[in-house]
Amino acid sequence: MPTRVAVTGAGIVSALGAGREATLTALRERRTGIAPVRYLKTSHTEFPVGEVKLSNEEMEHMLRIPEPQATTRTMLMGVAAVREALEQACVRRGSGLRVALISGTTVGGMDKSEQYYLDFLENDTKNAYIATHDCGACTEMIADYFGIFSRVQTISTACSSAANAIMLGAMLVEEGRADVVVAGGSECLTKFHLNGFNTLMILDRHLCRPFDAHRAGLNLGEGAAYLVLEAEDTLGRRGVEPLCRISGYANTCDAYHQTASSPGGEGAYLSMAKALEVAQLAPKDISYINAHGTGTENNDLSEGRAIQRLFCNGVPPVSSTKSFTGHATSAAGGVEAVISMLALQHSFIPANLNFATPMPELSFTPDAGSDRPAPLRHVLSNSFGFGGNDTSLIFSKV
Amino acid sequence: MEELILQLKQEIIKVLNLEDVKPEDIADDAPLFGEGLGLDSIDALELIVLMEKMYGIKLQDPAQGREIFKSIRVMAEYIHANRSK
Amino acid sequence: MSRTNDVYILAAKQISVQPPLTDEWMDAPVRYDAPCARAIDPDYRQHFAPNVARRLGKILKRAMLTSRQAMAASGVANPDAVVTATGLGCIENTELFLDALVREGEELLKPTCFMHSTHNAIGSLIAIDARCHGYNSTCVHKGISFECALDDAFAQLGSNRIQTALVGAHDEMTPSYFALLKRTGYLGHAPNGFSGEVALSMMLATTPGDSALCRLRGVELEYNPDAETLQKTLGRMLQSAQCSLEEVDAVMTGVSGLPSNDRVYASICPELLPNKKQLRYKHLFGESYTAPGLGVYAAAVCLCRQRIPAHLFVGGQSGEQRGVRHILCYNHFEGKNHSLILLSACGK
Repeated sequence: MPTRVAVTGAGIVSALGAGREATLTALRERRTGIAPVRYLKTSHTEFPVGEVKLSNEEMEHMLRIPEPQATTRTMLMGVAAVREALEQACVRRGSGLRVALISGTTVGGMDKSEQYYLDFLENDTKNAYIATHDCGACTEMIADYFGIFSRVQTISTACSSAANAIMLGAMLVEEGRADVVVAGGSECLTKFHLNGFNTLMILDRHLCRPFDAHRAGLNLGEGAAYLVLEAEDTLGRRGVEPLCRISGYANTCDAYHQTASSPGGEGAYLSMAKALEVAQLAPKDISYINAHGTGTENNDLSEGRAIQRLFCNGVPPVSSTKSFTGHATSAAGGVEAVISMLALQHSFIPANLNFATPMPELSFTPDAGSDRPAPLRHVLSNSFGFGGNDTSLIFSKV
Repeated sequence: MEELILQLKQEIIKVLNLEDVKPEDIADDAPLFGEGLGLDSIDALELIVLMEKMYGIKLQDPAQGREIFKSIRVMAEYIHANRSK
Repeated sequence: MSRTNDVYILAAKQISVQPPLTDEWMDAPVRYDAPCARAIDPDYRQHFAPNVARRLGKILKRAMLTSRQAMAASGVANPDAVVTATGLGCIENTELFLDALVREGEELLKPTCFMHSTHNAIGSLIAIDARCHGYNSTCVHKGISFECALDDAFAQLGSNRIQTALVGAHDEMTPSYFALLKRTGYLGHAPNGFSGEVALSMMLATTPGDSALCRLRGVELEYNPDAETLQKTLGRMLQSAQCSLEEVDAVMTGVSGLPSNDRVYASICPELLPNKKQLRYKHLFGESYTAPGLGVYAAAVCLCRQRIPAHLFVGGQSGEQRGVRHILCYNHFEGKNHSLILLSACGK
């Protein structure tokens, strides 16, 4: 009997607020976190964004970070989310457990690098932030806040980074290479990637409209979210209860283009199909799909076609919660893993906001959400990154 | 117009790093995308930046590029009619 | 899930500060005195059509070529997994975009620079080039990035999830980033070591084929371990490989000449690896985040050719050694991240 992977803790910080409760409330009240730019110092105020409504100083205060420490926004959000996850899972210092942290990020400390870039080149005043630039530095700063991790690593596969961190975490648990794994991702908004997405002309000036015929791009977001994973058969020893189980996962590559998805969604199809195979489930077993659903012309068509191909006439309810959180890029897979878990736990289907007109190419429309309880068994969560790095995770009720 | 066409060819070769391609290799009416020069959607985005930088023409929708970037001649005619610098 | 498969390194191809795509460094190493050396690039025009390579920065060209050659040399055209390591990613394109953003403002920025600034552009390019639809991940953790990638592939091969994996280590260095890292103390204090560049692609598989370089027996990672933990981890790895420390011929370490780096080896090795001959690779390849990949590559070549050239021994401990069965690779990064990798000659 292969080891089953239980989720015993979850932590989240996103445009919907800090913590699971705030997230759940906003989702149920259908209140988006996407708003005009407030914290990021950009001239592109025409693009709505899903910012975490806390300044760095507020987060430093909240987390009691000592004043002289060089911090980055990605690190601060990461610490807040990991802290909530560890508390829920009752993982404490001195437990004697082999605890691993696997974090997904791409921009890392770019928020400070773009702020202090000229200082870096011209003087020695901001040298502390040279060392916080790279992705691994962010993960280690998160790890060092807690001091309980004996294995620390970082994954960067663009917008599927956190999902791949969770998949790797699940494999570590299955193989007994760690007792407890904290896996997810953190990514703050930066001018760097806001402008990057703008050069690709895929940002909507209005609230994003995933799976709508008139969708015009994505809204960027930010956040951090992590799950605590451990073997189901050892939970009793620690006296913790499973919140749900990770029953399937797959990472595939579209192998088509650096920024565009293939028209037929080959990579997306393969990742969903493979995740089902790993979970030993049939398409009909999936009760809800938390789609990647960025709201770009290309993604939603490609993902939609892949869903149609796999589920044929039995497409389950589909929604993209990026209409709530914005696209939190490398953290998105973590944010949506926590949302998928909340949906399972609380038996509801999160809405796909801002939908009005069906896409002529698709047989299904996204779910508008409802107040009626929806008993869910298995939730499929998609996270697709640039370069065709496609990952699907399946969360199941215990 | 001929001058603009030549200038455009030189700029495109530079911006898109078309090593080994000379201006005279690009026919005025040959398609830029798919066949012909074999450019793709990212090149189209680079051409949109080029049009704004060189000629002050700002496109809001990448779909507009599909018509404008049909060939060097079509592009030059569009620039001639719409340039602000 | 228990280990069911052996793992072999079928082929490894590098572009670095040593002559590209060869093992010439074994007998005719290029020596460097400058604090920063760039890789010796082959003539890419001989390998790629101009239209294929025109948008690619150096790190991407190197990755594509070493990957193609590792695939060709191993006869594996379509690996089940592509696992890429890069400590800093595509910094040349990142700098171009960031510099323009900071100096010229948030308009008229170039999409190609952004598209090729993300770390996973490397692994994606390899997959696009070879049409690999399988597992594709990118490990980006400072000086332990390569070991993370190797560990991921090794575990998946061992537990039968995959049969072949292309593992890469890719880092470039630009003059301006070098200047920054020099200020942090990580790089560039000649004559105490030098900064290099890495492009390494190696093919791993569960069957040896005709010409495997060596076997990969174990990979272990530890974060901030104490001496006892490191000892236990080494013991566990050796035990699972049914190999004793006595049987290990030599230890390939990341000594570089930088005192703050070498001090850690000096304090740990005597107790962890008593009386073991120490080898080095950074005198050849320089320092970079994914340099440990080149250490594994160098050890693999030694195991394949059954000799360790004299210049690899730290402090001239030995002349050339003939007959090699097991090499242990031990690296640390800033004293925090530690990795142990065990390689054995084929048939041992």
